[in-house]
Amino acid sequence: MSTFSQLRFWFYRLTQKYTHWFFIAPALLTLLLVAIYPIVFSTGLSFFRVTFDSLQRPFVGLENFVYILTDDDYLKVFANTLLYVAVTVTGSFVLGFGVALLLRQITLGRNWLRVILIIPMTMAPMAVGLTWNWMLDPLFGLVNWFFTTVGLPIQTWLAQTATARAVVMLVDIWQWYPLVLLIMDAGLAALPRAPYEAARLEGASWWMIFRRITLPMLRPVILVALLLRTVDAFRTFDIVRVMTDGGPNLTTETLSLFLYRTAFNFNKLSRAGAGATIMLIVISIISALMFRYLYREVEQR
Amino acid sequence: MRKPIYQPLLIYALLIFLALLVVIPLAAGALTAFKPQIIWISSPPTWNFVPTLENFEFVLIQRQNLLHLRNSLIVSTGSVTMALILGIPAAYALARFRFRGSKGLLQWLISLRMIPPIVVGLPFYVLFQTFDLRNNHFGLMLAYLTFLIPLVIWMMRGYFVEIPSAMEECAMVEGYTRLQALRKVVLPVIAPGIVATALLNFIFAWNEFFLALILGGRETSTLPVAAGTYVGRARVEWGNLFAINLIIMVPVIILTIFLRRQLTKGLALGLVD
Repeated sequence: MSTFSQLRFWFYRLTQKYTHWFFIAPALLTLLLVAIYPIVFSTGLSFFRVTFDSLQRPFVGLENFVYILTDDDYLKVFANTLLYVAVTVTGSFVLGFGVALLLRQITLGRNWLRVILIIPMTMAPMAVGLTWNWMLDPLFGLVNWFFTTVGLPIQTWLAQTATARAVVMLVDIWQWYPLVLLIMDAGLAALPRAPYEAARLEGASWWMIFRRITLPMLRPVILVALLLRTVDAFRTFDIVRVMTDGGPNLTTETLSLFLYRTAFNFNKLSRAGAGATIMLIVISIISALMFRYLYREVEQR
Repeated sequence: MRKPIYQPLLIYALLIFLALLVVIPLAAGALTAFKPQIIWISSPPTWNFVPTLENFEFVLIQRQNLLHLRNSLIVSTGSVTMALILGIPAAYALARFRFRGSKGLLQWLISLRMIPPIVVGLPFYVLFQTFDLRNNHFGLMLAYLTFLIPLVIWMMRGYFVEIPSAMEECAMVEGYTRLQALRKVVLPVIAPGIVATALLNFIFAWNEFFLALILGGRETSTLPVAAGTYVGRARVEWGNLFAINLIIMVPVIILTIFLRRQLTKGLALGLVD
């Protein structure tokens, strides 16, 4: 055998053995460039003092982390964000799951109702915020028009501390419960029939069937819905930016918005970087815990 | 157990109420886009008017939103095309080959979806300044790949798993190479999946606001960024605002109705299959 054909054969063996890497490499390398490199860069950045107006970037060690972790505003906004996540995830989950269960009870018009209900989820959060800004406008909005019609006082929904937070959360739930609805609807559709028929023969009540059959079988799907909602709620930016821009008095400010402002309005790029690194760590821990739980669930089946 | 007669009525009442909560704001907003300027700010809102296209003409031509529409189209189609080209082969490999670390790799890819945009947005801003990619279509497309590639892999893997691997194995026994088998046998079957993936990814890129806001500039800002400039003004031009809003929303709503069956797969089931 000539050297050339030996080489060709060797090359052929190589491509056969590592075919998968030829397929995966382009995506993997791109992701290393556009996802991993920026994260590493950003983490590195937070150990230096970086601003837009100075080319000097002195090493400052943990200064940025210490600063941001002792910054009352950052802590307040962190707490805000946790509350925001808790309320909107719970709200969208309960409503989405509830509506998914209700949708399975009906047949007439089910598909059309479902399509209409999921529309908010596919809209740009920017467009959602603008639409609700108008709905809630004290002078020209439909909500206040409805309020005056039934004899209630007009409210400046987004300017009052008391209402702004609740209203923004409600709009967030309005936009995102459809995601839970969609996931749970698919999960419910995939459930086997047999256990239900058996339970019905035994004369089990609706609640018993739900608790003992539906919930346990849906656990992985429920976890997916909660996981997706949690990470999305944690990084909320658009809706808040459009509706209140964090106000009044930081009550509706989220982490993303606060870090955006720290970097671009207050010119503290590396402090924002430190804040973002902390945020990434928290999200990673939360999602890693949920992931592990989820895969244990799936493997048990 | 007999169900009481009023139960379905209650269910319908609740669901229709929720549907109205979607339809009324959208319909009222859409109508406002067709209102002549003098009644934008009538209070209470009036619905008795002759529809006009002047708001659309004004925002598209005077306010240069034709340019922003073009930017949105370029960036969305460009980034989705790149994500498909890079992501589909990877999805195929992850669906077909079992190799050391394949499961971990898949989980890692999916977890990239969890990265908050601010975490990549800040470094992109600094890096793009260095490489002169700010206010640049290509730069924005690159930034979008961060979330588009994982989504493509996630969705397409689901479609590949569904078709039996015997298909391309038979073709390979018949003498095709793997690439030929892929092109001639697998591609025609998987095409609807690719279309669904492309369209769903398009929606995400089209709606994106944060990265476009910080990485774009005058010449490259997309429609959501342009719509954002209407916020916080003393006198809001409602008619113009809703004209832009409608231009952003209508393509997506049409795609949603078209894609309603594939939507779930794209958003969730990759995780639980």
